[in-house]
Amino acid sequence: MRLSWIASVAVALCAAGTACGADLEAAKKKVSEVCQACHGMDGNSQIPDYPKLAGQNQDYLAKALRDYKSGARKDPTMNGFAGTLTTQDIDNLAAYFSSQPAVLQSRM
Amino acid sequence: MTRLIPVAVSLAGFALSSAACAQTPPAAGNAEIGSQKVQMCQGCHGIPGWRTAFPEVYRVPKIAGQHQAYLVKALQEYKSGSRTHPSMRAIASSLSDQDMANIAAYYAQLGLRVSP
Repeated sequence: MRLSWIASVAVALCAAGTACGADLEAAKKKVSEVCQACHGMDGNSQIPDYPKLAGQNQDYLAKALRDYKSGARKDPTMNGFAGTLTTQDIDNLAAYFSSQPAVLQSRM
Repeated sequence: MTRLIPVAVSLAGFALSSAACAQTPPAAGNAEIGSQKVQMCQGCHGIPGWRTAFPEVYRVPKIAGQHQAYLVKALQEYKSGSRTHPSMRAIASSLSDQDMANIAAYYAQLGLRVSP
């Protein structure tokens, strides 16, 4: 009974789009090595050509990385970086950037 | 020696024109005009949590407060077809460079007016 309650909370958290199964510490390490040079450590890029990622929708970020990895979305820099990422890396990074303080909003 | 002068001048001219080409500024955006052209954007990007239904389900990106230059780049890529999404391809194809600059200017400043 107690276990099923814990399980249902876990499912609810996953459904809410929090870092379900994602390793944010691993993501942070990857960000510090690769992503932060252009996108900033917290995803608030200061460079106009590079998008801000902080607070962006997690599933959109994951799709973007998958598309860069597959080559469906073309960018010489991002194709190179994303090509080295595993599926787990992509999930970690999407969870990390989406959980950073939001600068972007859905607004009219 | 004097025969070299025209060569030097033409080389200098070439260098200058190359530099000018490399630094052609993008169209300046007018957020006010852009605001009159975002009806077609709002149906998806104005609704928190809105999901695309085709060809893959995911929440559309938040664009308010995004960098203007990046937004223009994304629209150009959709228009050229190098970035693929059926709806965005159709919408971006209808936009001129000036439209893109205006819309991007509008969304870039939109995020600055509101607190997150």
